[in-house]
Amino acid sequence: MGEVINKSGKPLQVNPFKLSQPMGATLAFLGIDKCMPLMHGGQGCTSFTKVFYTRHFCEPIAIQTSAVTDAIAVLDGGDYSIVESVKNITKKVTPSLIGLHTTGLPETKGDDIRGVAGKVEFPLVYVNSPDYEGGLESGWALTCKALIEQLVEPSEQIDVKKIVILPHVSLQPIEVEKIKQTCEAFGFTTYALPDLSTSLDGHLGDKQAALSSGGISVEEIKHLGDATLVLSVGDSMQKCAAALLGKNSSMRHQHFSHLSGLEASDSLIELLMQESGIELPQTNIVRWRKRLQDAMLDSHFSLGQTRFLVVGEPDQLAGICQSLYEAGGRVAAAISSVDSLQLEKIRAAKVLVGDLEDAEKLADDYDLMIGNFHCEALAHRLGKGLVTRGFPNWEQVGNALKNDVLYEGGAYFLFECANAAEEWRTHKAS
Amino acid sequence: MSAKPKIRELLDESACEHNKSKKVACNAPTPGATTGGCAFEGAQISLFPYADAAHLVHGPMTCLGSSWETRATATSWQGRDFTQMGFTTDVSLNDVVFSGEKKLTDSIDYIMEHYAPEAIFVYSTCVTALIGDDLDLICKQAAEKYDVPMIPVHAPGFVGSKNLGSRLGGEAALRHLIGSKEPETTTPFDINLIGEYNVTGDMWQYSHLLDELGIRILSTLSGDGRVADIRTAHRAKLNVIVCAKSLISLTRKMQEQYDIPSISLSFYGKRDTSNGLLAIAEALGDAELIERTKKLIAREEAKLEEKLAPYKKVFAGKKAVLNTGGNKSWSIASALQDLGIEVVATAVKKATEADRVKAREYLGEEGVLMMNPGAEQAKLIDEKGAHLLLAGGRSLYTAIKKRIAFADVNQEKKKSYGGYNGLLNLAEDLKNALENPVFKLVSRRAPWEK
Repeated sequence: MGEVINKSGKPLQVNPFKLSQPMGATLAFLGIDKCMPLMHGGQGCTSFTKVFYTRHFCEPIAIQTSAVTDAIAVLDGGDYSIVESVKNITKKVTPSLIGLHTTGLPETKGDDIRGVAGKVEFPLVYVNSPDYEGGLESGWALTCKALIEQLVEPSEQIDVKKIVILPHVSLQPIEVEKIKQTCEAFGFTTYALPDLSTSLDGHLGDKQAALSSGGISVEEIKHLGDATLVLSVGDSMQKCAAALLGKNSSMRHQHFSHLSGLEASDSLIELLMQESGIELPQTNIVRWRKRLQDAMLDSHFSLGQTRFLVVGEPDQLAGICQSLYEAGGRVAAAISSVDSLQLEKIRAAKVLVGDLEDAEKLADDYDLMIGNFHCEALAHRLGKGLVTRGFPNWEQVGNALKNDVLYEGGAYFLFECANAAEEWRTHKAS
Repeated sequence: MSAKPKIRELLDESACEHNKSKKVACNAPTPGATTGGCAFEGAQISLFPYADAAHLVHGPMTCLGSSWETRATATSWQGRDFTQMGFTTDVSLNDVVFSGEKKLTDSIDYIMEHYAPEAIFVYSTCVTALIGDDLDLICKQAAEKYDVPMIPVHAPGFVGSKNLGSRLGGEAALRHLIGSKEPETTTPFDINLIGEYNVTGDMWQYSHLLDELGIRILSTLSGDGRVADIRTAHRAKLNVIVCAKSLISLTRKMQEQYDIPSISLSFYGKRDTSNGLLAIAEALGDAELIERTKKLIAREEAKLEEKLAPYKKVFAGKKAVLNTGGNKSWSIASALQDLGIEVVATAVKKATEADRVKAREYLGEEGVLMMNPGAEQAKLIDEKGAHLLLAGGRSLYTAIKKRIAFADVNQEKKKSYGGYNGLLNLAEDLKNALENPVFKLVSRRAPWEK
């Protein structure tokens, strides 16, 4: 691994791709069935978040705001606005859960949301997620931890056929589904927390935009404490795993920094073989491994002569960079939105916390960018190739179904990168 | 005197119709039952299109992180296009505790050193307003240091709605920019375009016609705008408000301070575009100009009609239900009628009294004004035999269920529907929607369903 710079030296962010902690919290609540995420803050935070995810997923997004105004901000400690919000929400719909999460405004004035939550007589999970700390990844993880701490019932039983996946925020709905299905292929009943694979996967159904539809149910969350195995994916999710293990000392935990590329996929399959006693995985898993091997060889020539810049969330960077590395892609620099222990492990010549202005300054070092929609204008201006990954991607459709994980996703990902690199080379030559 | 505008005053706008009819301005949002953006977003919308100025958001990450590069406000500015850039201080816990003023000052220095913009707009947000960072002082000091306008924009989200924020944006321009510079030349036909943001190049659909008529756009707030131009706005002969009620306070104050009259109009559809052009000419009050304008309108309408003819054949006998809000409830209806589509119903739930009157005017006695469109639209599609539903994305399922064509009214955020030529874009999109088999096919019964 290369040089790591954990802190930006600038006083500001210029063309940021960093996203806020409350937005990560919202998304986590959208992975719960019939949930109403309630963002505690000014109405704008909620409005921005709703539009943001609506455009990324092309789906209606359920969310409400406590609509704190300047006068309320001075006079109220959250008691009025939160209790009133719950009252008004439940007048119109009956969510299975209200997901209360804070923004910078109420945290600056010091609202005691835990105290207020105690007064609300409706199923509610609260999480402190000010946007002046952390980012998308930590907001999602904090929420997952809060869901576990406040909902999962302690247990002493173990269901030897049950697995719980704790996926990091950057895994798209289809990726969560593929990980679940892989575990199921070894005979395990598998749950993901949060689970976007059945809520924001983009499916035509009788949807009422008022609440999230699909995702793990509150009842299922309550009973996650008897799984034989907890699999955390992404370093941001380690604390969630610890919280879940706290509910039942007999549960076991296995951590994966990511599930991208041949090595990581192999280690998951190896684990599942051991756990299940199954010595030969299902035909399609075996077949996809061969296809990935072939994809690595087919794409290595192109990837081996391409220099990459990858921007995104720490856990996402770890996976993407490993996939590229295995087929010879040279990651000149990985730019992370926030600091994380994960940064030390990323396969890149240089890893830094920064923004897209930093990406611009590094322009001489790379040929192809991998990052969110904000990279598009930059790639165009600098004449770089582009593969779009991460939140948000407003210009393309089908984001929920982009699969980069395990054998199958890995193969598609390498093909897409190699093709983008060749297209860039042809374009540059002409 | 504080440089901060008085919110009460802005909410109690005497030029607003609802204040004449003694209705209370709706300001307090209901917790748990509120939609729509905040004041910060409104201010952003009204000022971000200045492409020669940097826009620095002093706040935590949500404010800018989710909102930059969201609006396709086209510009002809040849320098680095700041409308598609984001600058934020991204305040941290440390700043919340010990103040973010140093960070803000350093950020301004950084921007001046690396990007040298013509001005910097500095936006306060909930958190930085609450901790009391002194934007006025910092901007004043920076303006003296660099001899470049530094405009504090006091529209933190929690003071109110998007609409109020746009007013506050206008207020910032009035206090810090308008009247601070003299134009090099003036003409008798100088106008300001207020509230035209040139989203998807809407303004360019008609600006060349104004040009041809000899009407000069002295400045805009803020589509394809320049800071240097808006500083000279006090010398205009007329303020033209384009589809934006929120900036009525600004134009009233400009009338009081600089004696500039104002008119409000829209450039959506053929009739509105023609009416708009003529209204500007009439307000400028030059007989020859009015004559010229009438001739130009006749010519442009004829040209348009010729291009529309093949579409009108497709649209003959077609009926549409329109579910949108505000002035769109009648302006899109009018455009649809220009295309020969019968508008059988339009939603007026989120429209003002004046908008409802106008909607009734356009739709006639037979037309239905929907007060509860979510519930009514499906029924009306059946009753009226509508072929097309124009609405926000949420209503897509209604169209699929009813197996009729659907067009997203927000499509205009990607493509201009403004002016005469924009109507051709709208016609093309609606023709494609009507011809698309997807709305009938997609809801086909699955083989395993009975």
